[in-house]
Amino acid sequence: MTKRSFRLSDVRPDAKRDVDDEVAFHLEMRTREFIEQGLSPDEAHRRAAASFGDVQSIRSDLRAERTGRNEERGRRDWRNGLRMDVRYSLRALRKNPGFAAAAIATLALGIGATLAVFTVLNGVLLRPLPYKDPSHLALVWMTIPDDKGSLWDIPLTSGFYIDLARDARSFDDIAAFRSWGYSIGGEGPSDAEPVAGARVTPSLFKVLGVRPLLGQPFGDDAAVPGAPHVAMISHALWQRRFGSDPAIVGRQVTLSRESFTIVGVMPLGFAFPRGAELPAPLQFGLRTDVWTPLVFDSSDARNYGTNNLAAIGRRQSAVSLENAEREASGLLQRFLQANAPRLKLGYRLVSMADQAGAKVKRTLLILFGSVLFLLLIACANIASLLVARATGRQRELAVRAALGAGRARIARQLVTENLVLAVAGGLAGVAVSYWGTKVMLSLVPGSMPRADDIVTDWRVVVAATGAAILTGTLFGVASALSVRWGHLASELHSGGTRSTGDRGRRLGRQMLVTGEVALSLVLLIGAALLTRSFVRLQSVQPGFDASHVLAAGMGLPLAGPFDPIGNAPRWSRTLNDATARINASPGVVAAGAISSLPLSGALEGGGLRITGRAPDPPGEGPHAQYNVVSGNYFRALRIPLVAGRYFDSSDDAPDAGSIIVNRAFVRKYFAGVNDALGHTVSPTFTFKRGETKAIVGIVDDVKQQSLDEDATPQVYVPQSQMAYPGLALVVRVKGDPLTAVPLVRRELRAIDPAITVTDVRTMQSVVDHSLERQRFNMTLIGVFAGSALVLALVGLYGVIALIVAQRRREIGVRLALGARPTDVVRMVLMETSRVGVAGVVLGILAAFAITRVMQSMLYGVSTTDVVTFAAASAVVLSVSVAAGLGPARRASQVDPTVTLRAD
Amino acid sequence: MPGSDLYTGTLDLLILKAVSWGPRHGYAIGRWIRETTSDVLNVQEGALYPALHRLERKGLLSEEWRQSETGRQAKYYSLTNAGRTHLRSERKRWEEYSGAVARALAVT
Repeated sequence: MTKRSFRLSDVRPDAKRDVDDEVAFHLEMRTREFIEQGLSPDEAHRRAAASFGDVQSIRSDLRAERTGRNEERGRRDWRNGLRMDVRYSLRALRKNPGFAAAAIATLALGIGATLAVFTVLNGVLLRPLPYKDPSHLALVWMTIPDDKGSLWDIPLTSGFYIDLARDARSFDDIAAFRSWGYSIGGEGPSDAEPVAGARVTPSLFKVLGVRPLLGQPFGDDAAVPGAPHVAMISHALWQRRFGSDPAIVGRQVTLSRESFTIVGVMPLGFAFPRGAELPAPLQFGLRTDVWTPLVFDSSDARNYGTNNLAAIGRRQSAVSLENAEREASGLLQRFLQANAPRLKLGYRLVSMADQAGAKVKRTLLILFGSVLFLLLIACANIASLLVARATGRQRELAVRAALGAGRARIARQLVTENLVLAVAGGLAGVAVSYWGTKVMLSLVPGSMPRADDIVTDWRVVVAATGAAILTGTLFGVASALSVRWGHLASELHSGGTRSTGDRGRRLGRQMLVTGEVALSLVLLIGAALLTRSFVRLQSVQPGFDASHVLAAGMGLPLAGPFDPIGNAPRWSRTLNDATARINASPGVVAAGAISSLPLSGALEGGGLRITGRAPDPPGEGPHAQYNVVSGNYFRALRIPLVAGRYFDSSDDAPDAGSIIVNRAFVRKYFAGVNDALGHTVSPTFTFKRGETKAIVGIVDDVKQQSLDEDATPQVYVPQSQMAYPGLALVVRVKGDPLTAVPLVRRELRAIDPAITVTDVRTMQSVVDHSLERQRFNMTLIGVFAGSALVLALVGLYGVIALIVAQRRREIGVRLALGARPTDVVRMVLMETSRVGVAGVVLGILAAFAITRVMQSMLYGVSTTDVVTFAAASAVVLSVSVAAGLGPARRASQVDPTVTLRAD
Repeated sequence: MPGSDLYTGTLDLLILKAVSWGPRHGYAIGRWIRETTSDVLNVQEGALYPALHRLERKGLLSEEWRQSETGRQAKYYSLTNAGRTHLRSERKRWEEYSGAVARALAVT
């Protein structure tokens, strides 16, 4: 091989010049010969050419032949060289399997984890939403100031929506929609299935720019009072319930006991509105399966009091979001000036993408930041591994140089070797990311918005792998440049045992590892903070006892206009019967029901006026979360009574006028328990206006939305006085709550076969579920921190081991001069600790600066919690020292006679 | 009239022989062939070079640019190990061949 490279350099690369010069030389010499024979120069020249033959054609034949040969030889040499380089690289890597495995595993972990997290981030925050021109979509909210003056987004009322849709010019189209749970089927008892539905204005499909797969979207004529019932269904429901019947359009379906004509099937994947992308209190299902027209009658046009509509608009491309919002607010102010000057309402437009990602943006960015830390550590590790290896190979390279390999040849070999590593690591990384994304998706909370939009983006995978390979090449070039060519010869003489690592290079490697230790400490502190916060959260008392309690949603068929007054007797009779029958069943301690199950995400709020106090300006009076309860709700969840009494049968009369409030309500609006008990209030959220209700009991605070919230004022109203068509059943039993499932189903079916039963689970799982986001964060950052620690350990071990190897002679001398093995161990451990301590100090400083971004993810733990910082630092420090133990032991076993003789 | 195979084979053999005492450039090789064969073969001088290049490609000759006796750069051809072996075996073959032909012609 080296021979060939010598020969290559002796052939003139320029075929044309080679041939021309050779022929010219011949002709010149021949001319000279003829002149010596006495011919005139001209004659000599002519005779020389004649005796040569056809100069032109011979010359061009020679040129062509030689050019082709040079090219072919170049290609062959390059191919052979590359094949040899790759084979040599593989052999070199096989010879050093520890190094190869460490480098490939590190690369795979770094690339794989980063890609997996990026895939989630990409799906949730970056990829366009699956609608036409999604950047022009904006949700329309009304704003209302709270006591502290900050603005809250609330849904629209039908009156405000109708005005806005009529007057606003900034939108191409605007649509309103609200959640509407249907039961589908229900002709037979086992057949009824709850489906997530939405009542939507016909404009919704135009706003989103999505055409049905089959049929036609319903038009404006379907949204007038008295129009025939029509429905659109999702692709998923079409497959699941109708076996993808191609003749579905025109078929009748029973939705909540009423017959609807199916007019269309939406395309695969269309499920707008998806619950996780919108505020939880709107109670949309995770994926909507049925769309029916939202019908406004004349009274709806005048309804400015019931905020229950979400709205979405497609703004015109020429109008910015701000200008559209300004126009809407302007219209609203003009209306309020004329009709309700004291009402402080406004409009706020939120782009659909922001709305969808808002809740998780920060968390995802923090997760991505963490995984980038991991990637950095991986890179530092690989860099230090490669440098260590290059140093260890000086002798090998010296041998090859001595055998005649040129500089370029050796450099190419080094680059190839890194390329082989990078390609292997990159491919392994893609495999890890594929698997990692799957694991992430299984961990991703159901409440993660746009979970359906998370798919592996192969362009990203290719780009990332390309980047890894490019980096590998650059590392290769760097290590080729770092070979000290001048020293290669002396390397051979020294026999390779002499320390050749100069101080500067060793220092650089120590700095790399110090950085790794620091980064892994930052990650570990982050993980520890999340873990502490999680433990705190788990020990938070939710205000109820979740053990031995079964929870299930029960819903009555709901059809036609929402008429809580007319339907109240039927609703309250049915559901009160249900709780009473289950309550009386054997094995049941207490059974009750509530409209918004605590920690399930459901939430309703409304205002009230306290009797005897001056009326507050609209939107500024007392406000409370309210819940409709039935049966022995408080006993079933063991919510302690503070004063007064629980509800009993005396509250069952529709006009009994009794409510129960919580401690926080009393704290906020009354002087004390005695002041509150017996006081009357008039809620604005009940269906009958102007009712007054007396406070008959005061109970302890219950966490309604999340364990980390502060106690908020809460009000409980008996179901008999404010009937709801659906409640969450809670059943306390003696043993395992799941054993009560058949009983619950049997009793409910006995009362009314059309009652739908949903979300059957233990109350404990409701509590656990409410922590899924925190668990996700903790698990992920915990895994990153663990991996980072392992990588840092490996990196540190590698550097210390190398230092020990390079200093064998020095250690041998020391031992020969009488140093004890323990002194050597101490020396090596000191070296390790120096790196460890420097890394820890750096890490603590960095963590102080960085952890504050985690503020919103933590509960009950300061972002600079001293205990957490100290514990994490101790772990990292002991891991660093542990990394030095192996090399230290080996150093103490150095045989002085061997090392000294070898010199 | 010798066949063309024999002809090229003969030229190759003469070229190899011409450089067997040391490196020579194309002109010198051509001149040596002319003078030693007394122009019997009457080689067109231009035909020498394709043969030289072909032998070089087959690895029987190696080439090198260096200064000639006149001070100009010239391409020198020298015999490789493979070329020397080839020359030896071809020469043996040639002698057997021409000997056989001569013996055959001697029988009258």
